[in-house]
Amino acid sequence: MIQVEELTFAYPNGLPVLENLSFEIKSGEFVALIGQNGAGKTTLLKQFNGLLKPTRGMVRIDGMDTRKSTTGLLAQKVGFLFQNPDHQIFLPTVAQEIGFGPANLGCSREEIDKRVREAAVQVGLEPYLNDNPLFLSKGQRQRVAFASLLSMRPQVMVLDEPTTGQDYREGIEIMEMVKALHRQGHTIIFVTHDMELVARYAERVIVLSQGRILMDDTCRRVFYQPDVLRRTNLFPSQIPCLVQRFDRYQEEFGMPLSVEEFYKAITDSGGEEYVHCS
Amino acid sequence: MKPVISIEQLSFTYAGSERPALSGINVTVNPGEFIGITGPAGAGKSTLVLCLNGIIPHFQRGEYQGRVWIDGLDTVDTHCTEISRKVGSVFQDPEAQIVASTVEDEIAFGLENFGMEPEMIEARITDALQRIGIEGLRYRSTVELSGGQKQRVAIAAAVALRPKILVLDEPTSELDPLGTKEVFEVLKQLNQEYGLTIIVVEQKINILLEYIERLWVMNEGRMVADQPPRQIINQPELLTGVGLQIPPVSELVYRLKAAGYYSGELPLTVDEAYWALLKCRGGKG
Repeated sequence: MIQVEELTFAYPNGLPVLENLSFEIKSGEFVALIGQNGAGKTTLLKQFNGLLKPTRGMVRIDGMDTRKSTTGLLAQKVGFLFQNPDHQIFLPTVAQEIGFGPANLGCSREEIDKRVREAAVQVGLEPYLNDNPLFLSKGQRQRVAFASLLSMRPQVMVLDEPTTGQDYREGIEIMEMVKALHRQGHTIIFVTHDMELVARYAERVIVLSQGRILMDDTCRRVFYQPDVLRRTNLFPSQIPCLVQRFDRYQEEFGMPLSVEEFYKAITDSGGEEYVHCS
Repeated sequence: MKPVISIEQLSFTYAGSERPALSGINVTVNPGEFIGITGPAGAGKSTLVLCLNGIIPHFQRGEYQGRVWIDGLDTVDTHCTEISRKVGSVFQDPEAQIVASTVEDEIAFGLENFGMEPEMIEARITDALQRIGIEGLRYRSTVELSGGQKQRVAIAAAVALRPKILVLDEPTSELDPLGTKEVFEVLKQLNQEYGLTIIVVEQKINILLEYIERLWVMNEGRMVADQPPRQIINQPELLTGVGLQIPPVSELVYRLKAAGYYSGELPLTVDEAYWALLKCRGGKG
């Protein structure tokens, strides 16, 4: 779905922000992109919808070279959710906001209405279609922005810190919507600093450090190499941190990521050792 | 000990809103406390912070009831400048609060506004940088700093004014894990070494519980819990009941305890969880 070949990118008159990156993201993957502030995460995301174009190398989206296609065309393939929903909301009703993309694609009135309704249902905004987005809560405005991407029916969803500035429940709601899309076959790429979210949702993790790829592996294997993560000042989520405090964790518990997995490992395998002590 | 903050029956409703943002808040804070505020969106956390630094009622219209005393001064009768000598504020977005082009000038800005003599300003800058541990950033341009560095500069600028209280509204929300830790380490040091009273609003519950001594849980304008983190974590429903998360390691031990594998207090941190697990292994680990 996404092919990145020897991608180097520098802003005008600047040093390279991304240096010689090569990787592929296949259709239907759920990828977290992590790294310190300034590692190049957002710059990389912007290559996927053509907001930025490679200085050297190539980025292909579903076979299209981003340098040879327009952002309009790419926007039909790649939906981009920014960190702050207010940067992408500008129309007076929720329905107009969600319908803006399809209207620009030249869809018929009926087609626009159909897409608006579908997208609104998907994110639970049906009751608010005639409301002004400005009067909704931040979590709801994030969902308006999200629905306005869905109405474009992009195959790939790119989310830049989708839960920042939201409370725990709002963050989980957004991620559950993303997960539902993933189950429907969408390719998901998200950036976050919240390692608990990474552990909970990502199948694959790409770690960026100073514009290069430090690791690219399953979430489990990345979080069970804390020495490498530490080189870029990141730490795994809590459960892998706790598990790795035990010297013989591999034999005793395996490599659990979630509370559920670790709980099972303790209560199943270590049964006799753990019997009702006080 | 005389409280440094005393809030009595405080309620506030923003002009144009029907629902009160705060209702019936009653708390006192002693000098040197390190307090965290958490709660879901719309709980009133930021509104409470604005009542502490005097922005409410001085610059925000609405219906205000009750009393807030800061170091003995009633905020309603006290000029905002006077309050700002007592209460230093740090906000969410470092970009929005940094005004000067170098770190040194940024820290001098507040001092100059208070009409301080240049020699005094010099001494205060040196001292603030040293207290925060960022002497090396003194001559740097503020635009080149990382998010964690910017927030520490914002804290240094607030500390240079020698407030009795420092209030911070989600100071780490734009920061990566390292920047977040840097900010909390600085707060801990200011609290322990200089006895500064600190009140910090934070969504990142894992790190909050590790550092603070007292937690205020807010929901729908009310204070629903006010206890040390250790007591709160042992009643997880105080957090989960208002839609907040407890740290995964606390949840794990909570489940082991519920199933009879463990019978001690619930851990606040990864480190404590490790010791809890060893205890429930009967020392075999």
